[in-house]
Amino acid sequence: MYILDEEGKDLLSTVKEFCEKEVKEQCKEYDVSGEWAEEMYQKAGEMGLNAIEVPEEYGGIGISRTTYAALYEEMAKADAGFFTTMAVTNLTLKPLIIGKRDDLAQKAADILINGGYGAFCLTEPMAGSDASNNKTTAIKKDGKYVLNGRKCFITNGGIADFYIVTAMTDKEKGVKGMSAFYVEKGTPGLSVGNEENKMGIRTSNTTDVVFEDMEIPEDCLIGKEGDGFKIAMQTLDMARAVMGIGAVGVAQRCIDEAVAYSKQRVTFGQPIGKFQAIQFMLADMEIKTETARQMSLHALKLQDEGLPYAKESAIAKCYAGDIAVEVALDAIQILGGYGYSREYPVEKLLRDAKIFQIYEGTNQIQRTVISRAVMGKF
Amino acid sequence: MEILVCVKQVPDDSVKIGLNSSGKPAVDGVTMVANAFDTYALEMATRLKEANEGTITVVAIGPEKAKDALKSCLAVGASKAYIVNEDGLGDMDSLTTGYTLSKAVAKIEELNGAKFDIIFCGKETTDCTTGMVGAQLAERLGIGCVTGIVDIELKDGGISVKQETEEGYNVVETSLPAVVTVNKPAYDPRYPTMKSKMAARKIPIGEISKADLGVEDDKIVPSVKVISLSEPPKKQAGVKINEKTFEDTMAKAMEILKDAKVF
Repeated sequence: MYILDEEGKDLLSTVKEFCEKEVKEQCKEYDVSGEWAEEMYQKAGEMGLNAIEVPEEYGGIGISRTTYAALYEEMAKADAGFFTTMAVTNLTLKPLIIGKRDDLAQKAADILINGGYGAFCLTEPMAGSDASNNKTTAIKKDGKYVLNGRKCFITNGGIADFYIVTAMTDKEKGVKGMSAFYVEKGTPGLSVGNEENKMGIRTSNTTDVVFEDMEIPEDCLIGKEGDGFKIAMQTLDMARAVMGIGAVGVAQRCIDEAVAYSKQRVTFGQPIGKFQAIQFMLADMEIKTETARQMSLHALKLQDEGLPYAKESAIAKCYAGDIAVEVALDAIQILGGYGYSREYPVEKLLRDAKIFQIYEGTNQIQRTVISRAVMGKF
Repeated sequence: MEILVCVKQVPDDSVKIGLNSSGKPAVDGVTMVANAFDTYALEMATRLKEANEGTITVVAIGPEKAKDALKSCLAVGASKAYIVNEDGLGDMDSLTTGYTLSKAVAKIEELNGAKFDIIFCGKETTDCTTGMVGAQLAERLGIGCVTGIVDIELKDGGISVKQETEEGYNVVETSLPAVVTVNKPAYDPRYPTMKSKMAARKIPIGEISKADLGVEDDKIVPSVKVISLSEPPKKQAGVKINEKTFEDTMAKAMEILKDAKVF
C-alpha cells in the first residue's frame, strides 16, 4: 500500500491504464522473440515514463520518490523488462547530479524527457561484483580522453542516446584511479557488441558496449579524476530501493495471478482457494511482498529526509529480490502443471524475478554491504 | 477556431453493472470515466486543432465529481473546462439535456467572448445510449448537425466529414457553426503525458449554476419517465451436439432448428 496524494493517485491511474492496455499483453510476444518492442517503448517515451525521476529544476515533473515507486511497481507488474528499461534510463541521470555536472545533467534530462534512453556502463567481463577491477582505460591526451575497453551486460546498451562510462584514468591507484565519463551515442570508436539472449526481462535490451580509441572531450569527465568508483557506488545506493520496488511488482503480479487462479480452479468439488493449504501460501506470499514494498519505500523515504540510506537500500533490494523468486515459485506451485506451462503467465514471472537477485549488485554483495554496516570495522 | 466538446461522466463501461436492491443501477464503487464516445470526439477535435489552430473547451453537466472527467480531458487536448452543476436540474432526459447544454453553450460563449465554430459530442453515451443529445443540442441552437462521423477536415470555410453508415460512409459538407456527433474513428484517443496530467490539475474549472444558465423551469421537465429497469436475461446454457460423424452432427442440428420452428 502506497500513501499518495491526489496528484500521485492520478498519475498512478494513468500509468496503470497504459500498462494494462499497452504493455501487459504485448510483452508476451516480445518475451518469446526477444525483439525490441518499438511501438510500446515509443508510446511510453511520449508519455514521459523515461523521465519520471527527473527533478523539476531540469524540466522534469519532480514527483516524490513514493509516487515514482508506485508508478514503477505498475510497470514491473505488467513486465519486469519494461520496468528495467525505464528504471535504468532514469538512473543514468543520477551520476551527473552526484558529480555536480549541471550542464550534462540538463543535456541528459532533455534526452530523457523527449523519450530517449541512457545506459550505465560499469560492469565488465571480469568486473561485476568486483567493480573495482575495471580494465577499461581512459588516457588523457591533447585535451581529450581516449577510451579503450569492453563493457558487458549493459542495459539499454544498444538503444541508448548517451552512456555513463567508468574507466581507469590511473590503474596504479585501484578504485581511486577510476573515473566516470559522459559519452554521446555516435561517438567514433563507440560500438555496440553482442546482445544477450537472456533468461528473463527479455523486453529489455542488454548488450556489450565497446570502446576502441574512442576520443571524448576533456569536459566529459564527471566530477574529478578518481571520483568514478564513488559516483558509481552512490548511484547504485540510490537506485537499489527502486530495484526493490521492481521485484515487488513481479511478486505482486504473482499474487494477482495465483489469487485469480485459486478462485476459479475447482478440485475435489470446490475452488482450490477454499483450501487452507492454498490460503496460507497466498498469505505468506502477501506477507513477504508487502514487507518488501514497505522496506523499499522506507529506504526511499530516508533519501527524502536526507538520512543515511545505503544499508536500508541494500536490505530492500536483497529482500525484495529474494522473495520475488520465492513468491514466483509459489505462484507456479499454486497453478500446478499450468504454472509450468508457457501458456500461462507465471513461468515468465520466475524467469523475470531471478534477475533481481543478480543485477545492480548481487544479493551476496548486498549482504556484504549490510554486514559491513552492522559490524563496522574491527 | 473555437471548438467545444461536450462530455458526460459515466460509470466505467468495462465493468458489468447489475441492479441494486432498490432496482437502480449498482454503480457504487464503480470508477467514473469520461464517456468513451466523448473521448473519441475530443481526440478528433484535438487532431483538427493540431492540424489547423484553435482552442478546445470542454463542458460537462454533472456533480462535483464530474470534474475528474473534465480534468482528464484537459490532459489530452482541451485547454478550458466548465462544469454545469446539476443541482436543481432534476432528472434529465435527452430533451432536457439538449436544452440545458444549449443554454450552457450560450453562457460559455458569453464568458469566453467568442462563438463556437464546431461543437463535438460523442454519438451516444455508454450508460444511457440514447444517441439523441447532439441532435437536440443542434436543434436548440438552430444550427446544422451531422451524426456518427469518423473523420473531419476543414473545407472552404466549413467542414467536410465522413459519416459512418451500415454500408460505408457518406461524405457530408456543411457550413459552420455546426454540431457533429462522433463514432469510433480509425484511431484511439491518446494517452496523457505525465506532464500534461500534472498541468491539467492546475487549470481551474469554470462553474456554471442553474441560475447562471437562465433555464426556464418548464423546459427542464423530462418528457421521458423511466418506469422500471431490468437486467438483460442471463444467457441460457446452449445445447451441445456431439455426434460421431460430421453428417450426424449436422442432421441433429437441423432437427433441433426444425423443432424450434426456426424454419
